[in-house]
Amino acid sequence: MPGAPTVAGPRTGLDEDRALWLARLGGALRAHGIAATVRDEIDAAVALALVDRADRDEVARTLRIALKIRREAWPAFDLVFAKLWSGADRDLDQAPPPSRPPAPREQPPRLLSWDPVRRRLAVPDEDHELPGGNQTGTRPAASPTALLRRKSFDAAAWSAQELAAMERMLARLAHRLATCRSRRLIPAPGTARGRLDLRRSQRKALATGGEMLRFARRVRAVEEPRLVFLCDTSGSMDAHTRFLLMFVLALRRAARRADLFAFNTELVDLGRDVVPGKIRLTLDRLAARVPDWSGGTRIGASLARFADRDLPRLGGPRTVVVVLSDGLDRGDPAELAGAVKRIRARVRRLVWLNPLLGDVRYQPAARGMAAALPFIDCFAPAHNLESLERLLPQLVV
Amino acid sequence: MTPEIVALLADLETAGYIAEPATATALFLARATQKPLLVEGDAGVGKTELAKVLARLLGTELIRLQCYEGLDVQTALYEWDYPRQMLRVRIGDGRGEDAQALEARLFSREYLLERPILRAITHAGAPAVLLIDEIDRADDGFEAFLLEVLSDFQVTIPELGTIRAEHPPYVLLTSNGTRELGDALRRRCLYLYLDHPSLEREVRIIRARCPDAGGALPDQIARFLQALRARTLVKPPGVAETLDFTRALLSLRQHSLEADVVGVTLGCLLKDRHDLESMSPAEVAALVASACEVRS
Repeated sequence: MPGAPTVAGPRTGLDEDRALWLARLGGALRAHGIAATVRDEIDAAVALALVDRADRDEVARTLRIALKIRREAWPAFDLVFAKLWSGADRDLDQAPPPSRPPAPREQPPRLLSWDPVRRRLAVPDEDHELPGGNQTGTRPAASPTALLRRKSFDAAAWSAQELAAMERMLARLAHRLATCRSRRLIPAPGTARGRLDLRRSQRKALATGGEMLRFARRVRAVEEPRLVFLCDTSGSMDAHTRFLLMFVLALRRAARRADLFAFNTELVDLGRDVVPGKIRLTLDRLAARVPDWSGGTRIGASLARFADRDLPRLGGPRTVVVVLSDGLDRGDPAELAGAVKRIRARVRRLVWLNPLLGDVRYQPAARGMAAALPFIDCFAPAHNLESLERLLPQLVV
Repeated sequence: MTPEIVALLADLETAGYIAEPATATALFLARATQKPLLVEGDAGVGKTELAKVLARLLGTELIRLQCYEGLDVQTALYEWDYPRQMLRVRIGDGRGEDAQALEARLFSREYLLERPILRAITHAGAPAVLLIDEIDRADDGFEAFLLEVLSDFQVTIPELGTIRAEHPPYVLLTSNGTRELGDALRRRCLYLYLDHPSLEREVRIIRARCPDAGGALPDQIARFLQALRARTLVKPPGVAETLDFTRALLSLRQHSLEADVVGVTLGCLLKDRHDLESMSPAEVAALVASACEVRS
């Protein structure tokens, strides 16, 4: 801690009118994106009355404690505090918020050449060629139902029946994915299973003169997790994206609280564009909303944006975040790792579905993927239906 | 610095807890304003230890509530002793006791099982230290319940009435950040973030907690740990790990850091497979060498 104690002097304004000074500090903090409520300011005023206000470091420490400044916000807080302490806060109003320096907007090289057909998201029954990636998967001309589950998502030809069968399967999976057992126990009237609940048994025994004829029980509550999907729509994912999106749409129907984001070079919130039951309409709308569909990827930057902008709202003890991406990032691996770590800290589970995992030759050595791996709860293949089904037991928590 | 904080800092050090000024400031403010203190930080930076030391300093009881998923109010607050109540009713039946007297007796303090929070509120004599450990593991319903208790330190038991705390306890909540706490709870508390210790502080901690470690060893260990934490790790080692590591080296009769010994005892520091795999023997040797060379 930098030692030299600064003499407060009246020029700080702190001793003249503490309330005014704190209100100015609170305002400046809020302008820099740090939540400081009036209640916090009152706490700070009470705390400041108790400590040595001539000691700059002590005042800073006290304010951090009383205003509940999180560790991430310390640099911004120190900046605001330093200006206000030295009385140079007049120019604070003009200072640009330092929340996040604008990322360099260099256009990443495209993975694929621009193709007018691909600008639009193709719907599954549209018959056109798909780029042969390095994914495995048999490509049967006509497939029996048993093969359906093994059929890779990037196989082009799917008949209408197959699609219908697939939708049914997806709907079943989605339903299972959208429920989980909590560890909390709730009363279970009329069952003979679960744990004994003496408190309620006793109360019920009142009706029978203190004689316990039937025991009340408690079972684990069923909770509905909040699902957040982050779909990679870059060129390298193109062949898989539409099927994964169908999966997400089915989930959306089963889970009341599901949010959907698409990212390639930017992050787009697609929550309002998803219309359950109308897959084709939805896909068209999505294609129109997502800029640079099938372009390059900046996974790290996109996830960091998600963590900054949307995570405070969506994160929580019941949130499950599913990222659908191949991890072929063109950005800085450290940025990706940092973003993934931040997301992991605020959600119940972080699942990463990677279509490339279907390939036996694949090693998650892609720079970005390797950096993010330690923070992921479940890293699973998603190249066909069978792989998605296998994923379920791991998702139900 | 405020004299009370300086004194508290010295007291903490005597009790074996080498604290940053911010830690002492937070404890002082929490006591002076009677607000709960929320302590956050990585695992092993001494959050729980802080509550233990505080209880020792104040010469009072430490009441600990370990949170877990599914923790309910009955486990945290109070429960009637049902089996004993039932037994008492049976005994009363045989004797033909007065029904009202029996009822009053059954729902008296005698048959009340006090769980940690109620125990802290009813603590007689002096305020107790209530440690609500790993609050982030409990679910959000429990958090809402805590809010109510922490704001007025009173509990209402339908059969007994409202119990108010004569001496509101000092409340410390700790969180590892496995999930984000609700804003309402956060706002109700004072907030302390415990960082990993600085080099100088870590050396003092090692000397205070492992007096057997003499010579250059504490300094070398601290430098090695600082270099280790500078890397991107899934679980950066905390002070608890530093002390385990020091004790391990002492039991192996080491007086200075040796690359090969560090290599085999690295499991004391890194508790994650990815972290262990990321450290090649050559890298360990390089870190050890740089930790040792500064000294000599």
